[in-house]
Amino acid sequence: MKSQALQEMIKKVFSDEKTKLQFMSNPHSVLAQFNLTEQEKKAVLNTHAKLGLATADSQQLEAALDPLTYWT
Amino acid sequence: MWQERQAGKLNREIEELLVPLSDADGLCDLIKEALTQGRRGLGAEVARAKPLPLLPLVVCEAISGHYEHALPAAAALQLLMAAGDVFDDIEDADSSESLPARYGPAIAINVANTLITMGEAAITRLKARGVADCTIVRVMDVVNSYCTTACAGQHLDLSLTSKMDISEDIYVRVTGMKSASQVECACHIGALLANANQELIDIFALFGHTLGIAAQIANDIRGVTRGSDIVKHKITLPVIYALTQAEGETRNKLVIAFGQQSETVPDPTQIKDLLFSIGAIHYTTVKMESYKQRALDTLSKAEGAEVNIERLKLFLE
Repeated sequence: MKSQALQEMIKKVFSDEKTKLQFMSNPHSVLAQFNLTEQEKKAVLNTHAKLGLATADSQQLEAALDPLTYWT
Repeated sequence: MWQERQAGKLNREIEELLVPLSDADGLCDLIKEALTQGRRGLGAEVARAKPLPLLPLVVCEAISGHYEHALPAAAALQLLMAAGDVFDDIEDADSSESLPARYGPAIAINVANTLITMGEAAITRLKARGVADCTIVRVMDVVNSYCTTACAGQHLDLSLTSKMDISEDIYVRVTGMKSASQVECACHIGALLANANQELIDIFALFGHTLGIAAQIANDIRGVTRGSDIVKHKITLPVIYALTQAEGETRNKLVIAFGQQSETVPDPTQIKDLLFSIGAIHYTTVKMESYKQRALDTLSKAEGAEVNIERLKLFLE
């Protein structure tokens, strides 16, 4: 899976304070600026709903990893 | 609970396979240790909520409504995976708790060889469960094929150890071969033993593949948050993202921390914070979510073929 647009979007969100605030309040408006696949958009929105932005260790991040932890 | 019931039966299947080893002084205990340490078929954790060792049984039951005839195949996979774990420990040499560290490489290699032989023996026990000869040959063929893929993935991974410029495409390829192939194999075998048609087998193989990659990505995130991969200078998905996107001083810090030749032991907390701050963990979490979603979408195709996917969905939630 090529992820260039996704990488660009996340780089922008984490390096530009204005985009970060926009993403936090309305992720759709930031998504619309990048050419993401439908699956990537869904994954971005799911992650946003579960974690907001993953900027540090959190219970929410642990919970997101939990179902898959003992698989491999 | 169904997990405990299935885990108990798998446990008994493995115990029966170990009977011929009861006279070999100590070997049986080491085999059990290898299976328990790696959560491979033995030990209390097998009955936990989402147990990988039971996956062939869960897939088989989801399609056909039965699973007991698949028990020897599920046991075989656990024995073969445990052998892989032991070889991995010899190659990595980074754990004082591992079998080779505690008993030496010679004993560990012999344990791994015994596990492989017993894995092959386990597959032949499908005959006593009423599985047709032609299906047993197909099971052997599929298992050997996935094991070969996993070995090739391990070779690729070992060959890349000294390199930092690993692309995401290569990461996905190696992960698919080395880690996801195990989960894919478990699902493929479960579907095969349910007498599923090729289309359904392919659906379950893809489900296993995407689930396996999602699981490896989850491990990568944990490797950063716990610091274990940072101190080993391990190049995982968050690091690949970070090395691609970071610039200037931030990138220099990462190059020093993850340079394989570097004598410096990186400060895990500092590097972890850095990876969080540039979005590497967020990016990796989105990628994990994307593979999980693909696995769920694949499962819904099986639902269309009247497969009961409820228990399989639990593995992702």
